[in-house]
Amino acid sequence: MTASITRRLLLGAAMALGLAGAAAAEYPERPITLVIPFAAGGSTDVVGRIVADRMSQELGQQVIVQNVGGAGGSLGAAQVAKADPDGYTILMATVATHALNPLILKQKPYDPVEDFAPVSLLVLVPNVLAVNPELPVNTVQELIDLSKSEPLAYASSGNGTPLHLSGELFKAMAGIDLTHIPYKGSGPALTDVLGNQVPIIFDNLPSASGHIASGKLRALGVTTAERAPSFPDVPAIAETLPGYETYTWNALFAPAGTPPEAIEALNKAALTAMADPAVADRMKEFSATVVASTPEELAEHVKAEMAKWEPVVRDANVSLD
Amino acid sequence: MELLSNLALGFSVASSLANLLFCLIGVLLGTLIGVLPGIGATATIAMLLPITFQLEPVSSLIMLAGIYYGAQYGGSTTAILINMPGESSSAVTAIDGYQMARKGRAGTALATAALGSFFAGTVATFLVAIFAPPLTAVALKFGAAEYFSLMVMGLVMSVALAHGSVLKALAMVVLGLLLGIVGTDIYTGAPRFTLGITQYADGLNFVAVAVGVFGIAEILRNLEDEHDREVMTKNISRLFPNREEFRQMIGPVLRGTGVGSVLGILPGGGAILASFASYTIEKKVSARPQDFGKGALAGVAGPESANNAGAQTSFIPLLTLGIPANPVMALMIGAMIIQGIVPGPNVVSEQPALFWGIIASMWIGNLMLVILNLPLIGLWVRLLTVPYYVLFPIIMAMCSIGVYSVASNTYDLYAVAFFGLLGYVMSKLRCEPAPLLLGFVLGPLLEENLRRAMILSRGDPMTFLTRPISATLLLMSLAVLVLVFLPQIRKRRDEVFTESDA
Repeated sequence: MTASITRRLLLGAAMALGLAGAAAAEYPERPITLVIPFAAGGSTDVVGRIVADRMSQELGQQVIVQNVGGAGGSLGAAQVAKADPDGYTILMATVATHALNPLILKQKPYDPVEDFAPVSLLVLVPNVLAVNPELPVNTVQELIDLSKSEPLAYASSGNGTPLHLSGELFKAMAGIDLTHIPYKGSGPALTDVLGNQVPIIFDNLPSASGHIASGKLRALGVTTAERAPSFPDVPAIAETLPGYETYTWNALFAPAGTPPEAIEALNKAALTAMADPAVADRMKEFSATVVASTPEELAEHVKAEMAKWEPVVRDANVSLD
Repeated sequence: MELLSNLALGFSVASSLANLLFCLIGVLLGTLIGVLPGIGATATIAMLLPITFQLEPVSSLIMLAGIYYGAQYGGSTTAILINMPGESSSAVTAIDGYQMARKGRAGTALATAALGSFFAGTVATFLVAIFAPPLTAVALKFGAAEYFSLMVMGLVMSVALAHGSVLKALAMVVLGLLLGIVGTDIYTGAPRFTLGITQYADGLNFVAVAVGVFGIAEILRNLEDEHDREVMTKNISRLFPNREEFRQMIGPVLRGTGVGSVLGILPGGGAILASFASYTIEKKVSARPQDFGKGALAGVAGPESANNAGAQTSFIPLLTLGIPANPVMALMIGAMIIQGIVPGPNVVSEQPALFWGIIASMWIGNLMLVILNLPLIGLWVRLLTVPYYVLFPIIMAMCSIGVYSVASNTYDLYAVAFFGLLGYVMSKLRCEPAPLLLGFVLGPLLEENLRRAMILSRGDPMTFLTRPISATLLLMSLAVLVLVFLPQIRKRRDEVFTESDA
């Protein structure tokens, strides 16, 4: 009796080992590092951690988040570009790392197309144009009219950030001038707009949403082509300026030369993660829209984004060393 | 009434089992590092920052705050027992505390320090509760011009009231300002003094600089002085002060609490300043000033109350304005940002549970400290007998891991090594590291706000004088400068500091 139980246990253990051995031959056989090129706590970090957690379950290996912040995302992106293309180091890319920085930086630490193998687009995050309620404007058109009669300034999270360029694109399309006041991140910029030190802000919708909901900020328009599901009453800027569209996006990339099987496994895990209703719910709380894609679609997306931003960056004369 | 309901909310948050536990861990760790002369609250909080990512925001801040005021307590233990202040703010305590210990009154001195600190902590907690929200209303009126003037005042204060030579303090502040310039200019995107190293594009890591000039430099310094350690444990007999000693304590504790509460709020001031100021006052008002330096009870009671009150009220500018009053508070801001909390005037209204929870936990922490501290003194003393060749490598390893984990940037470790050596050289030259770090923290804010104010005013510098708050702050800075350089006050100041050095 006892002997037979022991034998059965041993057999079971041997089978388990055998199964584990078979699985180990396939990708992934050890933990994967997901480099997030921004400090912990930001919106990219939050999206990255949610996705990494769900992908770990899917891949059967831990996806470990490593924050490599600095230089507007360039440090982390460059680190992944130079990493071994074995599928065990991947990047949480954004519009900054894969469209804006390569256009803006004079010294390019990496090539967003040549140095990376696309995996999947994950989410789109709308930006928002908001004003302090003391500014006597209720619509985008009223803001454009007011700016023609008096000098106005807008706050952004920093020079060369997607929010700064959203502002510059707005200025160019509306044919107006606004003074740009850069801050070190969204937080301090928001504080100054709440205190009416600066009347206007371009911000990520997730970071401004609390203040918009409480009425301390008046949202004039979201920057996506369509209205954001989380704020159906806030019009899209495109309703006043047809064709205006900017948003922040997050996508997964591996270093160029990563084996196709690894890319396929990662893409499949990412798609499954993004299709999970629990993940979708958390993204919605965050005002982010899920748009999982194939690697080819992501490659196209990067090209389209670079083509869209190139003239904006050139006209706004933004460049960083 | 609203205050009571707010405090009730705070206590309900702070007295949850988990938060009580984190508070306890914080004050224990704080006392521990306060006792260890090699390492201070700044370095410890820096090392623990990454661990707090996993915690609830309120728990992590309660723990970090516990470390901070725990260190104030622990620092006084070594100051009294072995004449080695574990924290810079207990330097003053060492003067009379150590003399008391040598006369066999170590127990009385330790108890006086603990009880004085507890009283000051209690009063200051209520001050934070009462005055923090009204100050918040003022806070939103602070724009770029006001912040610029506030930074000017902070820098002027830090020079004016620094320990020792004005010239050296000024040199340290300027060096700090220059180091603060390293990194990308936020207005033009031009890299400045980065030596072409992309890893420094966002500036030097504050944690790396702090760990270097404080932690590593202090280890190097202590390695030199190892033979000086003489533990006075055998003399601890009676712990509790008698009736007469209680009577002597009351005045100094009250005055120390008052001085500490006011100075703690000022950026650049804080606990260190408060203890020096209190010592001066006690000596002035004492009927027997000749006792000071020879074991005067007031010389322990006053400064200890002051540094603890100052430690507590330095949370007011942090919680209401998002402005650090000292390097530890700058780290607390980092901790809040990591947790997705924007430090600033909105914290009170948006995160009432967090805000009041931290305030309530301060009082709970102080209570824990007084209960813990008295029976544990024997244990702390034994910890000091751990040989430094065991202790210091452990501390070094923890510092390195702590710094690297902030941004996974190896260049931050080079910065630690560099600033460790720099800090050691500075201590050889008798230059204080605190003004350097304050310059480093305040400098970028000073520049950023100066330029932002100028952009907003379209190049008109009168904006600093036409805005009332800004003008007031600048006038106050000017007044402080005049006071410092008036010959009579100058003389008195030198007198105070010469004695404290002895």
